[in-house]
Amino acid sequence: MNSDVSKLLHDLRSKCSSLKSAAELFKDCSAAERKEMLALMNAAAGEITKTLEALTKAL
Amino acid sequence: MERLKVLVLEDDKLAQKIMASRLADHDVAVAGDLKTALKKLESEPFDIGFFDLMLGPDDDYSGLKAIAAAAAKGVHAVVVSSSDSDEIIDRAYELGARDFYAKGNEDANVADILRKVTQARRSAAAPDVFASAFITGDAALKADVGEALKYAPTDLPIMLLGPSGTGKTSLARVLHERSGREGAFVAINCSAYTEDLLEAELFGYRKGAFTGAADSRKGRLLEAHKGTLFLDEIGTMSANMQMKLLKAIEERSFHPLGSDKPERSDFRIISATLEDPQDLIARGRMRFDLFQRVHGYTVNLRPLADRPADIFLLAQHFMKGGRRLSFTAEAKKAMEAYAWPGNVRELKKFVDLLASGQEGRVGLEAVKKLLKGGARAEAPRGGPLDALYADALKRGLEAALESVSDELVIRNLNENGGKRTKTLADLKISTRLLYATMKRRGLDSQGD
Repeated sequence: MNSDVSKLLHDLRSKCSSLKSAAELFKDCSAAERKEMLALMNAAAGEITKTLEALTKAL
Repeated sequence: MERLKVLVLEDDKLAQKIMASRLADHDVAVAGDLKTALKKLESEPFDIGFFDLMLGPDDDYSGLKAIAAAAAKGVHAVVVSSSDSDEIIDRAYELGARDFYAKGNEDANVADILRKVTQARRSAAAPDVFASAFITGDAALKADVGEALKYAPTDLPIMLLGPSGTGKTSLARVLHERSGREGAFVAINCSAYTEDLLEAELFGYRKGAFTGAADSRKGRLLEAHKGTLFLDEIGTMSANMQMKLLKAIEERSFHPLGSDKPERSDFRIISATLEDPQDLIARGRMRFDLFQRVHGYTVNLRPLADRPADIFLLAQHFMKGGRRLSFTAEAKKAMEAYAWPGNVRELKKFVDLLASGQEGRVGLEAVKKLLKGGARAEAPRGGPLDALYADALKRGLEAALESVSDELVIRNLNENGGKRTKTLADLKISTRLLYATMKRRGLDSQGD
């Protein structure tokens, strides 16, 4: 596996972990925090999609 | 919980938010890149640093540099990263990281680290445990207990071995006090109850569950929620109770008697027994699977007669705040030679009786009057080699060595759940020796 693919996979693992942890934390957040959290989760989901596209191209 | 100063080095905004939420009760500074983190480490004191390693998609593990800087400042450096190859883990620890966690379970991991660091700070500030809560001057015992104290802030079970009156309950309490667990210390002596009563005590019961259950009652397992459950004399528990307890430990859930609704309890187990657990297993009196669940770290508390220096140290301690006594040289000699079958508990009673007596200066006669039992038998001094030597002199070398060989084989068989092929491989012994041992010990030699 080349280093680009390794880095993309690392990035993917990292972002997916964050998204999972955020989903677990979500129920404990206040209404204001939920808004902020959702925005960050959406941004992370967008980045995950981009990373998956990059990974598809790299393979 | 004590408020700690925490630095988080993390480039991902969502991960930053998650860490900040998990650390909401503490003073948190967040750095999104290495330069900011190093600047903060240089200018502010921190207790803990949580470090991501790859800071951006093209980064080359620059977070590693923050570990060395933090370690140099005495900060408890923790790596929380998705890069968890053996090579990276080795490098992080070499640079001074104290903990390494893969990303994804921050809820449990962050809480564990906070508890560990808080407790370590408290322990460092606490008075010397061996001069206050658990008195001993015995170097071997101090080393053993000191090692056990390192596991106090973890969830690891601890098993205390030693004769009655050697301070197992005191030590269990010290371990709980240094655990950082917010719940209570709940102790139960398993030998003091019949099987039915023990079940009711441990698991609790609902009103009407049995004749005489006029009200519902919470069990010890539930009382120990978020605290410590100390099971004294665990070896006296019936096989049936051992099975029920094992299930409760594994599932952290149980049914009180007469209830359909399960109760959950997050308790830490400290257990104690007067007997050798391996022997209890060999004799079928302790389930091996229960033993595995409760014996994380083991402390051996030797009899008081084997640590004579502790006799006067403890006697002085028991006299603190009350009448001070003085012992003549002959009295001291008699106390040192005494077997102390009741150990520390007997010494405490002895000192209390003397302190309420007529004479402040204690002579040989007064000691002899109170210590009516025999003097310590001239047993082999110290280690197992001395005991083996004494046995060899008594029964011959071959018989003594055969006993040791039998012990090792049976122990391994038990640890392997009776799998003979595994024991043959583990101990590199012949089938002939294995079967001869089993025959001598009256074990069935059919099947595997």
